[in-house]
Amino acid sequence: MSSASVQAIGLTKVFAREDMNATLQALDNVSLTIQPGEFVAIVGTSGCGKSTLLRIIAGLEIPTRGEVLCGGERVTGTNPKRGLVFQEHNLYPWLTVRGNIEFALKAAKKFKGSAARVRKLLEIAGLEEFANSYPHQLSGGMRQRAALIRALAIAPDVLLLDEPLGALDSFTRMNLQDEIISLWRGRGSTMILITHDVDEAIYLSQRVLIMSPRPGRITAELPVPISYPRNRSSSDFVQLRNEILLRLNFAREDMEEFNL
Amino acid sequence: MMETVAANSAGVSSIWELRQIEARPKSRRRLAWERALTALPAAALVLVLLQYKLAPNFKTTSVYRTTDIYTWFISAALACALAYFAASLASRRVYERLTRSAPIYTAVALLFLGYDRLTLKSGVLPLPYFPWPDKVLSAMYEDRVMLLDCVKNSLVLLFSGYLTGAAAGLVTGITAGLNKTVLYWVSPLIKVLGPIPSTTWVPIVLILATSLFGGSVFLIALGVWYPVTMTSLNGIQNIRPANFEVARTMGAGRLRLIFKVAIPSAMPHIFQGLTQGMSMACAALMVAEMMGVESGLGWYINWQRGWAEFAKMYSAIIVICLTFTFVNAVLTQVKRRALRWQEGGAR
Ligand SMILES: Nc1ncnc2c1ncn2[C@@H]1O[C@H](COP(=O)(O)OP(=O)(O)OP(=O)(O)O)[C@@H](O)[C@H]1O
Ligand SMILES: [Mg+2]
Repeated sequence: MSSASVQAIGLTKVFAREDMNATLQALDNVSLTIQPGEFVAIVGTSGCGKSTLLRIIAGLEIPTRGEVLCGGERVTGTNPKRGLVFQEHNLYPWLTVRGNIEFALKAAKKFKGSAARVRKLLEIAGLEEFANSYPHQLSGGMRQRAALIRALAIAPDVLLLDEPLGALDSFTRMNLQDEIISLWRGRGSTMILITHDVDEAIYLSQRVLIMSPRPGRITAELPVPISYPRNRSSSDFVQLRNEILLRLNFAREDMEEFNL
Repeated sequence: MMETVAANSAGVSSIWELRQIEARPKSRRRLAWERALTALPAAALVLVLLQYKLAPNFKTTSVYRTTDIYTWFISAALACALAYFAASLASRRVYERLTRSAPIYTAVALLFLGYDRLTLKSGVLPLPYFPWPDKVLSAMYEDRVMLLDCVKNSLVLLFSGYLTGAAAGLVTGITAGLNKTVLYWVSPLIKVLGPIPSTTWVPIVLILATSLFGGSVFLIALGVWYPVTMTSLNGIQNIRPANFEVARTMGAGRLRLIFKVAIPSAMPHIFQGLTQGMSMACAALMVAEMMGVESGLGWYINWQRGWAEFAKMYSAIIVICLTFTFVNAVLTQVKRRALRWQEGGAR
């Protein structure tokens, strides 16, 4: 079991829009601190900079200002200690499900003696029978599951999830949410989940960060003081959901006022 | 192709059976027509044989003497057609395949029938320009040792050039796709050299090359180099950035990014270039052999032209056709295997 803290200090990101000779500010002075082993969810409307924030933490994007510390060390690039599950599954179409997982293991230099783990992961994802199928032969949900276990295979200290269940029906989604909780509790890694599903954020995380758009900022932070396993219809749950929705709405009204 | 399918409660045991179930029902007339079709190739071949053996030749002079080689050839084809027909009676699957290919086989047999009529039997198409099939086959049989040697030499030259050019094209295209500096220096070269057909260089190469073989390899390679460079460059430039990002978040190093991500991603593009390159290589091979190299099928044709041996020239053309068809079939198989992962199979 390993995990690491994540600390973002004053992250600002400005994108160049070369086609229009303009710039677009996606993040404005975003700071956050996440304890080792903590499960944090980030919610916010579409386009508010959630993916950008996650990509900076992963080391894929260089912040314009500010920095990210992971386990106290400054993030300067990607590292297999920080795994990322992308918004699209991004499986390699020329590799089978097993091939995709093995690719990850080889890239992270963890391939030796991994056969049993791979089998276990395939079992967790319910993909044993599809280990030798190519991504185009799978359903959307199966692809998403495969992408999830591919990231899990290399046992990252920090797992960054960018709407990993976004494309799924609510039934599959709930199943996978339970899978994610049990994986997290089993492995104890730090989790940062992006979602625009408020229920999902409350159901999974210990703390919900709310982002507002243009430029992206963290406007509120709400702890989820409910013990696992959580009941989606319990009164605490519902109350928290209302509060988050209210704050998200505020964020929207703020913006509208700003625009007017 | 994978023929057996995983156990299913529908009781479908093969992909072929699945196709049968999903196919639209055919009308009775259509079914009768298909049945008749399967017998047509054999019937046409019988006509060819009958005409050849029974109809009188245009003249009785020694030039119009015929051999049994054509008889054997058509008999062998007939035997194959009959065996195919018999198999189609026993197996539904063979039957389906035969109904699809029977029209073509029949047409080919009729072509032989008609050509024989126009040449050997009526002299409408005169000698020496239009030798009849038996004459061409006899020429082929007579010169078989030499022809085989030519095939060997042509293939050695073709593949020496093709593999050199493909390797050079892959290296140029891939490095230019991955590295901006390489692209900067290579792209003017591609723009200038690319549109010139490689055969343009023949006269220069013939003078400058220290060996004709080496010069020809260079010519063929140049023709292959351009399409392979272009398609692999294109393939690399069109890779979704996410493909690299996934690997980077997993800690993949530079070599892995190149060999396990970039190249497989670009494979469908690259194979287009490899196929185009093969046509270029075949064209350049013929030019090289007809212009300078003193072996191979192109040289053989040119040499026989000197003796006005039209039958031998045609026989060499047939051998060339068979050789190139075979080479392309091999390439298609390689492509199929390499691109098996593509949706709907490799195209
Ligand atoms: N590479 C880029 N170049 C230019 N602009 C970008 C780039 N990436 C993101 N942006 C802009 O930054 C803003 C935030 O994008 P981001 O992808 O982080 O949003 P998001 O919160 O993840 O949205 P969603 O929920 O729809 O995924 C958007 O306005 C987007 O247009
Ligand atoms: Mg996003």
